[in-house]
Amino acid sequence: MTKYAMVIDLNTCVGCNACMAACAMENQTPVWDTKAWRTYVHDEEIGVGDDVHRRFFPRLCNHCDNPPCMTVCPTGATTKKANGIVVVDQDLCMGCLACAMACPYHARVEVTYGDVRKGKEFYGSDYRRTRPSVDKCSFCDHRVEQGLKPACVETCVGSSRMFGDLDDPNDPVAQMVASGVAQPLMPHIGTRPNVYYINDLKWRG
Amino acid sequence: MEVNVTYATQDFWTWWFAVYLYTGGLGAATLAVTFLTDMYLKAHRNLVLWGAGAGVVLLSLGSLMLFLHLLDHLAAIHVLNPLAMINQPTAWIAWGTQFILWMMVWGVVYALPYARVTPLFQNMQLVGKALEWEFVVKLSQLVERFRKVIGWLAVVNGVGVAVYTGLVLQSFPAVALWANPGVPLLFTVSAFSTAMAFLLLIMYTILHEAEDEHIRVLYERIDLVLISAELVIIFSFFFYLQRGSESAVHSWNLLFHDMGWLIGFIGFGLIVPFFLELKGVIKGWASHFPIIAASVFVLVGGYLLRHYFMYAGVYSYPW
Repeated sequence: MTKYAMVIDLNTCVGCNACMAACAMENQTPVWDTKAWRTYVHDEEIGVGDDVHRRFFPRLCNHCDNPPCMTVCPTGATTKKANGIVVVDQDLCMGCLACAMACPYHARVEVTYGDVRKGKEFYGSDYRRTRPSVDKCSFCDHRVEQGLKPACVETCVGSSRMFGDLDDPNDPVAQMVASGVAQPLMPHIGTRPNVYYINDLKWRG
Repeated sequence: MEVNVTYATQDFWTWWFAVYLYTGGLGAATLAVTFLTDMYLKAHRNLVLWGAGAGVVLLSLGSLMLFLHLLDHLAAIHVLNPLAMINQPTAWIAWGTQFILWMMVWGVVYALPYARVTPLFQNMQLVGKALEWEFVVKLSQLVERFRKVIGWLAVVNGVGVAVYTGLVLQSFPAVALWANPGVPLLFTVSAFSTAMAFLLLIMYTILHEAEDEHIRVLYERIDLVLISAELVIIFSFFFYLQRGSESAVHSWNLLFHDMGWLIGFIGFGLIVPFFLELKGVIKGWASHFPIIAASVFVLVGGYLLRHYFMYAGVYSYPW
């Protein structure tokens, strides 16, 4: 079996936002809406006085093993594939936003009728979306099926984002997760996320 | 992992969802209470027609609120399919949609024999004709024969709707205010309390039937018990939130520092009607006004409860 996961090394993320741009173009997201990114990079300052540093914190859907967004979806639009990727079927989604309410990671974004209309103008004849839905990161499953990496991983200049198979013991991602150096966000909620982070604060002192 | 946590409320489901929860719970409980009264206390045409009519209107209004806010209205067809409950057994909206639909169906069907002998409906042009269709006459005879079966189908769906309004919030794990078993209990008790208040209001202001005194007294007593239960649940929530997780503490701060919640909901929505109805039950009132006032307070309080619950749910975002 394959179980996809992502490890993000906060030590090497430089906050260039290339991942956001790559994701937006690959997945034709509504770039005109500043709140509708499938992935985004939080830019925060940590510390006081002279001891302050910037932390870039990339965020995306955590492709949980126990995804609350899927549990609450009344139409079955949100499903989890055998390879662990949580996807949304835009034809089934009625946009009730229960998934957005259930997600502890703020990873769901609204795509409206207006966005679909604008998308046709912005992306032209290649535009794939036909209906509104509550969108989310799909780990670029259409690329992964072809043996490629997700667009954000492919474009990451600092190799901060790493993508791999947790069920392959030789995969560096699986090894980082198994060693405990990469940790998930808010595991206490019980969502069992598959996006892991390598802490930067530990090394910066 | 060490992260900074930001505490934030949401703007996906706001006042309009509170209206959906309120009218859903109130409408369903009203239908259930009137049918139970009709089946076991006193056959009461006017009460059933008012209860069924108001219930269906309230449930439709709530459903309309949700429908208008969907991103893709056409895709709602997928949740109208009863198989949605089997395909998505953990999604309470799938269950709730079916409960609401069937509650309205059984509500209209149960009231049909009464509507057929009511001059108001007989004199309505289209409705009057429809009530004389052979199919409708046969259905009406069937309902009279299986009155209790239809009544109980409506009651079960009604209780289902009331419980669902709490379960839907309980299924959001990141928010301590919502993700606990007290919410379905609180919303169910509140739904039936507001239904009692609504029916008391109807009986004191519109129906005015002197021989219904025993029903009104029973409703007042039940409402008193329900308000007491609600106060106990709110008291439990106070300590659960105040001494809970950070999400809970932030919700506690939002709720218990807000005059709308403290004075509007707890004060005028629970405590004032509790004492007004307590005096009515123990010593009685010389006029109906205090119970009418108590009913209005309970009805407004019922909405405020859901309104504040929607706005005070706090997420802990890790960044």
